[in-house]
Amino acid sequence: MIKITNLTKSYGEKKALDNLSLEIKKGSVFGLLGVNGAGKTTLLSILNGLISQDSGSVEIFGLDMNKELKKVKSLSSIIPQHLAFYEDLSVKENLDFFAKVQNAEKESYDKSVEINSLEEILLQKASTLSGGQKRRLNIAIGLLNNPKVIYFDEPTVGIDPKSRNEILDSIKEYKNFGITVIYTSHYMNEIEKICDEVAIIDHGKLIEQNSVENLITNRSSDSVSVEVIYSEKLQELGLDMSSETTIKTKESELFATLKLCKTHKISIKQINYGSSNLEKHFLDITGAKDV
Amino acid sequence: MFKAMIKKEFLLVLRDKHALLALFVMPAIFILIMSVAMRDQFTNESIEFSLYVNDADISKISKDFLTKIEADKKFHLLDDETSAQFVVTIPKDYESKPNSKLSINVRDSIKSDEIEAFKAMLFEHVLSAKLENMVRNIEGVSPQISKILSDLEISVETMYEVSYNNSINIPNSTQQSVPAWIVFGMFFIIIPMSTIYVNERKQNTLARLNSMNVSIFAMGISKSIPYLVINQFQVLIMLGVGIYLVPLFDTPALVINGSFFALGAVSVALSIAAIGISSLIAVSAKSSEQATTIGGILNILLGAIGGVMVPKFIMPPVMQKLSEISPMSWGLDAFLDIFLKSANFSMVLNNVLMLITFGVISLMLSMLILQISIKKGF
Repeated sequence: MIKITNLTKSYGEKKALDNLSLEIKKGSVFGLLGVNGAGKTTLLSILNGLISQDSGSVEIFGLDMNKELKKVKSLSSIIPQHLAFYEDLSVKENLDFFAKVQNAEKESYDKSVEINSLEEILLQKASTLSGGQKRRLNIAIGLLNNPKVIYFDEPTVGIDPKSRNEILDSIKEYKNFGITVIYTSHYMNEIEKICDEVAIIDHGKLIEQNSVENLITNRSSDSVSVEVIYSEKLQELGLDMSSETTIKTKESELFATLKLCKTHKISIKQINYGSSNLEKHFLDITGAKDV
Repeated sequence: MFKAMIKKEFLLVLRDKHALLALFVMPAIFILIMSVAMRDQFTNESIEFSLYVNDADISKISKDFLTKIEADKKFHLLDDETSAQFVVTIPKDYESKPNSKLSINVRDSIKSDEIEAFKAMLFEHVLSAKLENMVRNIEGVSPQISKILSDLEISVETMYEVSYNNSINIPNSTQQSVPAWIVFGMFFIIIPMSTIYVNERKQNTLARLNSMNVSIFAMGISKSIPYLVINQFQVLIMLGVGIYLVPLFDTPALVINGSFFALGAVSVALSIAAIGISSLIAVSAKSSEQATTIGGILNILLGAIGGVMVPKFIMPPVMQKLSEISPMSWGLDAFLDIFLKSANFSMVLNNVLMLITFGVISLMLSMLILQISIKKGF
């Protein structure tokens, strides 16, 4: 388990993290959500031992980061948002270098290559790889030390949908190896797709921590979405539509909305209580206009 | 870990063709061009004046004078005055009238410093011929004195002897150029070092390495070792150019008179200083363009002040004093002491220590800056 207790970090007057506490279960895929400047990168940098906190503590699998930083680093790995490898070296030279630096075992080297499908491009110069291949190499380097915790910082930025899905599928696979994944992304659908649990951070503070399932079907909100079969009449009724087939309403106005649909012979497919999706919930509770 | 990091650094440098050109080809070409171009500025032997002598006296003394001129390789005695740089006229009664003067007619194209040099060189032979004539004249007066005088080898060389401090050889253009451009070339590691450093910082590979338990100290040292090796190869290649290539262009070869151990020590110390300042610029610069621009300008300034572009001995005293602030000058002085004054290790120890101290302080400072920049995180 990763236990973060009362973590505080300031840059001058600005508090990047404000008394933040979190608990992350071993072997889970944990999403970290927050707008730019919310404190996600600061949190990741502290968890990786790149910077130290002003106060508070971090315990990773029973190891106190302040006292056993070296051990903690050897258990974890970060996949940075920016591609962090040598463009002038081949894929193999990059993997060899980062493997030797960490005294990685051959087994984990082979596993990194296999999971990320790098076998056929090993001799290719890194600068000549496609965006997706570069992302995969970036991830493979992070797996070389056979980590128990992996931090993904926006790993799918700027790549095609096919490569994105491949990467997300491979991340889901890490659960089978008992690896704990901490994942930050601006793409809410990615978080919905792969994460078990999510923490929403805003202005350095924890706003909410819950399972993805609970967040999506959050009943604390009185919003309701009514999914209907498409009808031309929908546009004439002056309803609040979030898409061509989804009516946005409130719990108190649900009866009237359903009655209206019946009157105009509009078929109802589904009724969803709470936020319609994670993105909607995120925007609701942080007050942000966009993710 | 060190082995992997050193290998990586070598691979990156050796794949940077521009850097290799700047490190090896540029200084070699400089050595060749400057040694050949300055060949005549650094040796008296090659100065040659063409002259025509109009002997109106046709006396014993004028014949002696002509014989001496003919024997001197610095003079090219012509039979025709039209193409001569100087026309020297020996007046009638030159031998009989002690106060009579030679007249020198100078062509328009001759510069004033060349005229002064010609007069000084001619003076030696005039004086010698006159002294010998005096000896002949007093022969009848006192056989004893005449014997003593005739035993003397009368020439300007018997009157004084030029000596150089701790020196056994007169410098030539190669001995001036090789150390100067070696020093300059060694400091050019700023280009590959800064390019790689800035790219690593921008691509976050340094931060990634730091998250992999690689300390800043290990990064700094493993980055320095390849450049230390490259610098030593540079020195060997440039010495080779001075010893074997430059003579092919009718220019004197490089002669190493001093201790090879001292030469190695200076070379390593210079490399540490070059690595230190290169690291400092590399970690401070925001982009590789900025690093190479600042590094290039700094290199040229340090070279100009330090006596690489213009030899220190022809600088005015104020500039010579100013040159002492340049680490290039410390290295260049030590190299020149080894090449020209047969210096041993103890004689260059001060310069070696100054260079190492400068390099280590710069390197430590650069590691501190790197630590701060990595602390900013991904």
